Amino acid sequence: MMKSFADWRETWLVWPALLLLALFFIWPTLDVARASFFDPDFTLEHFERIFTRSVYVTVLLRTLLVALEVAVLCTLIGFPAAWIISRQPRKRQMMLLFALFLTMWMSVLIRSFAWVVVFGREGFVNGLLLALGLVSEPQQMLYTSSAVLVAMVQVLLPIQIITCMGAMTEIDSALVRAARVLGASPVQAFSRVVLPLSMDGLLTAFSIVFMMAMGFFITPALLGGRTDMLLANLIEQQVGQLKWGFAAALALVLLVTTLLALALGRGLQGIARLLSRRTA
Amino acid sequence: MIHRRKLLSAAGLTWLATTSKLIHAQQRKIVVSGSGGVVADANKAIYYEPYTKATGVAVEHVASEQQRMAQLEAMVRAGRTTWDAMEISASDYPLGMKKGLFEKIDYAKVDPKNTLPAMARQPYGVAVAAYSELLVVRKDKMPAGKVIKSWADFWDVKTFPGPRSLSARPQSNLEFALISDGVSASKVYEVLSTKEGQDRAFRKLDLIKPHVAKFWKSGAESVQLLSSGEAVFGTTFNGRVGAMQKAGTPVEIVWNGGALHLSYIGIPKGAGNIADALDFIRYRTTDPVPMREYTAKLPYPGFAPGLADGMTVAVASQLPTYPANTIVQFAADAVFWSDNLDKLQERWNEWMLK
Repeated sequence: MMKSFADWRETWLVWPALLLLALFFIWPTLDVARASFFDPDFTLEHFERIFTRSVYVTVLLRTLLVALEVAVLCTLIGFPAAWIISRQPRKRQMMLLFALFLTMWMSVLIRSFAWVVVFGREGFVNGLLLALGLVSEPQQMLYTSSAVLVAMVQVLLPIQIITCMGAMTEIDSALVRAARVLGASPVQAFSRVVLPLSMDGLLTAFSIVFMMAMGFFITPALLGGRTDMLLANLIEQQVGQLKWGFAAALALVLLVTTLLALALGRGLQGIARLLSRRTA
Repeated sequence: MIHRRKLLSAAGLTWLATTSKLIHAQQRKIVVSGSGGVVADANKAIYYEPYTKATGVAVEHVASEQQRMAQLEAMVRAGRTTWDAMEISASDYPLGMKKGLFEKIDYAKVDPKNTLPAMARQPYGVAVAAYSELLVVRKDKMPAGKVIKSWADFWDVKTFPGPRSLSARPQSNLEFALISDGVSASKVYEVLSTKEGQDRAFRKLDLIKPHVAKFWKSGAESVQLLSSGEAVFGTTFNGRVGAMQKAGTPVEIVWNGGALHLSYIGIPKGAGNIADALDFIRYRTTDPVPMREYTAKLPYPGFAPGLADGMTVAVASQLPTYPANTIVQFAADAVFWSDNLDKLQERWNEWMLK
């Protein structure tokens, strides 16, 4: 009795946030789940359609692949960047972080559209290639899967870096110096000291970027070719035709797939940890 | 608990009713939902402000282009319709009608003298504008001495090389494909209603697919493709062409084989101020004077009697309802699409991914 009273006093600050989540996130999510099974009577018709027509599974797999690619690229670029930023003197660190936040003030729509100007037939990159004589006619760069990938990485990179930073600022630089003093090469110091210590932050960042990429639809719609459909684009199409039930079923499939992928990632992480402990 | 909630909401409603009555006593108002951009600007200047001056009824514009019907259905379901009148696009009309999202139009109030043509007097909406989705070409990108005149030419990539653009929806594209394949404009929907006709359209589309640089998703994007040269021959809406020409892009409309659509103005289910909305709709659809001014600005003409009187040929010939333009186009069948969209959309998506 005493214990739970103390708990209540310690946790009450969490309740407003939980209440907000329950009201505006959990309840609507449950409502989406309901709408996908009851339209208006109980039916599995929507799910049957999703898994029997080729288009939905194809797009789902494509979505998974794109999200994975984006998350991997963001990690490869963002992780070293986060490390460098976290090692700067405080003032410069704030400036660099400010520059990162600045890009996030612009809407995804504008940041994606800017690439149209860069990648276009009469755009900056083609102009440069033509002027340098590297190509003889404009190359098709816009409306390709690569354009989508580049833009999605650019949009999500700040989130990756900022999330990584959180874990890294706590790492004591003395540990790296100690490793170097004891004869480790810079690469060894990084892979044996920094990497293990920032692993949790890295994986959290990876998961967040992956989740956000799974739900993207503006960037592929603007920069992609006809095959660059992600599942969110199909959901938008269905909502436009007021097919709420089918849209809800697609949304539920997207949600469950994302959660399964994350759970799988966590599982692999656990196995990797066990193995590394054994070899250590 | 339930009693108390009922009591509270009743009290709230009474309060709302009294205050809204007070507001109404001060100024009557209607909320109109419609497109943004140049369309909104022209509506405000030519229709809303003069109407308020003449009647004292304020007109508030709500720009809603993206997912307008989804917004409407959400409002109707929640029992809180905040719009009094709304633009209804050609494809949204049958959709909203089936779902019961519109109020019936009282033509005794809107058009008591029966001056509008029958095609403009629909049960749940009054035709407010005609517009075309059609082929537009860059004059500067055509081979010397040759001019694109038809959908068959659009499909002829040997004579007219260059990147193309089409909309990312099956609507109109399947019709264009059939016309290019030799189906006459008057038979398009008859052919498209059969499985063989649909196969034929998709087979024809297979041929053009590799030459389409981008399937566009919004009117703004269709314009941007043509003006940036990402596509040199592509589809767009006739009303967007004038702005492109003014901005210096050498584009030209190919009226032949265009899809002629009607858009409507109607009243959303459960609207609060139907009486004033009906009167505004009367003014918006049957008065030729402001409509002439509007049409000079944006080539989306309505059906007000006497609209063409005193119009110059230069203005009139740019309208989708100009006789020489109407005769070469086909009337887009919104009901066909409302009945067949589900299946054809799925097949279209599969086709896009292949």
